Amino acid sequence: MHYISVENLTFFYGEEPVLENVSYHVDPGEFVILTGENGAAKSTLIRNTLGLLKPAKGKIAIAKTNQEGEKLSMGYIPQQIASFNAGFPSTVLELVRSGRFPRGRWFKRLTKKDHEHVEKALRSVGMWEMRNKRIGELSGGQKQRICLARIFATDPDLFVLDEPTTGMDEGSRGDFYRLLRHNAHAHDKAILMITHDHEDIKQYADRHIRLVRKEDSEWRCFHMSS
Amino acid sequence: MALLSYEFMRRAILSAAFMAVIAPMLGVFLVVRRQSLLADTLSHVSLAGIALGLFINYNPTITTLIVVVFSAVILEYLRRVYHTYSEVSTAILMSGGLAIALVLMNANKGNSSVRVEQYLFGSIVTISWDQVKILGVLLVLLIVLFLLLKRPMYVLTFDEETAHADGLPVKWMSIFFNVMTGVAITVMIPIAGALLVSAIMVLPAAISMRIGRSFNRVIVISIGIGLIGMLSGLFLSYDLDTPSGATITLVFILIFLLVSIFQKVVKRKE
Repeated sequence: MHYISVENLTFFYGEEPVLENVSYHVDPGEFVILTGENGAAKSTLIRNTLGLLKPAKGKIAIAKTNQEGEKLSMGYIPQQIASFNAGFPSTVLELVRSGRFPRGRWFKRLTKKDHEHVEKALRSVGMWEMRNKRIGELSGGQKQRICLARIFATDPDLFVLDEPTTGMDEGSRGDFYRLLRHNAHAHDKAILMITHDHEDIKQYADRHIRLVRKEDSEWRCFHMSS
Repeated sequence: MALLSYEFMRRAILSAAFMAVIAPMLGVFLVVRRQSLLADTLSHVSLAGIALGLFINYNPTITTLIVVVFSAVILEYLRRVYHTYSEVSTAILMSGGLAIALVLMNANKGNSSVRVEQYLFGSIVTISWDQVKILGVLLVLLIVLFLLLKRPMYVLTFDEETAHADGLPVKWMSIFFNVMTGVAITVMIPIAGALLVSAIMVLPAAISMRIGRSFNRVIVISIGIGLIGMLSGLFLSYDLDTPSGATITLVFILIFLLVSIFQKVVKRKE
């Protein structure tokens, strides 16, 4: 069972081909990393996969249900999410709590279990003490951490993370990768993560998808390395 | 209290109180979504709807509603086309709406200039009981929608891509929000006027965002400020014999300045 399945995806920005015949899949229990040089259309590939962009051709499928047959839940951290609208009037706690809404809580009261998830998520990124701060008052690194806390609060079946460790020191990155690997291996979560951190992460990731430039193309077009 | 002995004042106070809740409830989302000019745009477009109604001799409220709802949908489409510089869509519709209104008004010259002026500047004291009732229905509808959709709207307002990944129908929610804003503007325009309706939507929200820390608190404070500004502006306009819409807007601007100055002083002391 694939949580993500992409076959022969081709994408153009205007007339210019950017991705050509890209195929990949992500399964439950797997920690997959996606790498490539700067401008290798890694985020474009993810945005196509999630339906935020429309490909010129190719088949994209995201599983409707998880392994238990329940509705599949997804957590996505876009690139530079930490540069969100600084004026957004919300406390840290409110934002992280909103991570529980996709777990069937759009129209229901949050339960004790939901609140426990939120507290655990905030503590796991070291932001529990800052829970009543307004998010606009946080530093870039702190904003990054509360976005991660939101995704941990959701506790999704599928994590899609676009360079989530930007601004993290080496130690925190290691802890974060260990946490992701634990989620994949112990809880059957599927994780797809864009990263530049090739060396550090090798020991944690199960699979490596690499986008490389097509040499026979006149455009700056990328495909998967063989 | 002598004011309350006049029926027109009772109607005005009631409608001001209703608008004080309706306008900021939408306004907070407009400001946070960086769509403050949306209200302005739709109010300019509504002039085209009013001019059309007067031109074809049909109820201007109905024609305005049709034109504004249609524009709200177009606006969302343009916002997506011009994703990186979305204010272009606002500029296109605002100038287009005003241009159509002027052409139609010119073609209809001499027939209904007084009525167009009434929609341009609004008049809270000439409001009818029917209009108060429509405002009341809109108020109830918006409160119900707000209570139902507060959480999805919170996530949508925070980040549209996150909302998409959370499984929310981002495009339809945005269109629905624009349409509801359009409907609210159409209902409020004869009272507040096309030129000032966006001010009463945006200013209480902008003030409350300077004060409130959490999202819920910002909504509650904006409604409180809406009530203070609308009612004190209305009473002042009665006392000073000034246009009600303009007086209300000036009261909001004064509150905004006072809050800003107060915060600066407090920050300096800290």
